[in-house]
Amino acid sequence: MELNATTATPNPGSSRARGPSDSDLERLLADCARRDARALRTLYDLTSSQLLACMIRILKRRALAEEALQDVFVSVWQRAAQYESRRGRPWTWLVSIARHRAIDVVRSERAELFREAVIEELPQLVSVEESAANGQSERTAAAVARCLGRLTLEQRRGIELAFIDGYSHAEISRVTGQPLGTIKSWIRRGLLSLRDCLQR
Amino acid sequence: MTHDDPQVIDALAAEYVLGTLRGPARKRFEEWRDASPLIDRRVSAWEDRFVHLALALPPVMPSPRAWEGIERRISVQSPPAKKPIPWRALAAAIVLFAVIGGVFAVWQTGLFVAMDPLVTIAATDGSPLWRIDITDDHSRMRAVALNSAALHPGKSLELWALPDGKAPVSLGVLPDNGKLDRDLTVDQREALRLSAKVAVSLEPVGGSPTGAPTGPVLFVAEPVKA
Repeated sequence: MELNATTATPNPGSSRARGPSDSDLERLLADCARRDARALRTLYDLTSSQLLACMIRILKRRALAEEALQDVFVSVWQRAAQYESRRGRPWTWLVSIARHRAIDVVRSERAELFREAVIEELPQLVSVEESAANGQSERTAAAVARCLGRLTLEQRRGIELAFIDGYSHAEISRVTGQPLGTIKSWIRRGLLSLRDCLQR
Repeated sequence: MTHDDPQVIDALAAEYVLGTLRGPARKRFEEWRDASPLIDRRVSAWEDRFVHLALALPPVMPSPRAWEGIERRISVQSPPAKKPIPWRALAAAIVLFAVIGGVFAVWQTGLFVAMDPLVTIAATDGSPLWRIDITDDHSRMRAVALNSAALHPGKSLELWALPDGKAPVSLGVLPDNGKLDRDLTVDQREALRLSAKVAVSLEPVGGSPTGAPTGPVLFVAEPVKA
């Protein structure tokens, strides 16, 4: 299995089912905050496979990712009352909990060793336009896809390795065989042009 | 570095969300964020953008075991039924429960899965608190609460393998009472194999939020050698 970043290419032929809407997820989180266990199960059915994909990419091992996925939903159950829609969309909140949990597991060192030698098949990015976003977020998804498409291949690869795989500058440097300074500048420039493009 | 330059703030927010802002710089940035709604908004804006990268991964269906683990840990209680239950259905349910209960009892006694005692965790006065049993191939373990009900109300007690020269590996939260069976992952098995000792730490409900022990270690015990 290669460690290289894959570049998300537009894939107009694919027809992914649309994910749940923001308002669906907000309602389920509100029900979880009221201790409705069925709402947690529904939320799990709607989002766990997407969150697991993110966590596998960071942890590189499915068994470990599934274990960490449990922590994510226990945490969602405990913190549902703290979710406030004005502070971000529900998907953003859920993905952020999942990524942080996965990265914590990596930092606890037990994942560090096998991140070097990936043996499992990892989920690969499909087109960002086809992301599981729905409703209002679709517009942002389209803009993000358009602007990512304007980055150089290197800039985009740097950003994907950082966000999708949870790699540090140093790890990206090792994975790509490029000097650290080059990686930092790929990412810095990539973020600048992303921002400029998204502001337009 | 100037903290009020919007360009600098935005660049830091982007690297923060991306995850490339690390170490002390990350900590400092988190403090600024807590103090400044402006920085918080920049972070949220980047999070809302990058989330679409995460959502562009094809979903991977978790195994049924993952949900079972969650259900166990939050000890889900179904809301009470709102309608009166018809007597016929109730009678059928009682029979069904009796059958399930019987099967469960047989299973709990270990007829279906053979387990051997691995370690007993005892209080300082020697009174046993939990017994940990394990299958021959170390694929499944059982924690049996012996005398530990409500030892620390509002907290969880988490069991750790302490592999030689490596970070502790969680073996899960211990039950306050009754028995709790769980499958061990390859990492947990390996960690247990390399451990001369296991430990129990005091953690927030549901177990350590970080993957490493966060509370005081209350008990340490030595597993029997296979």
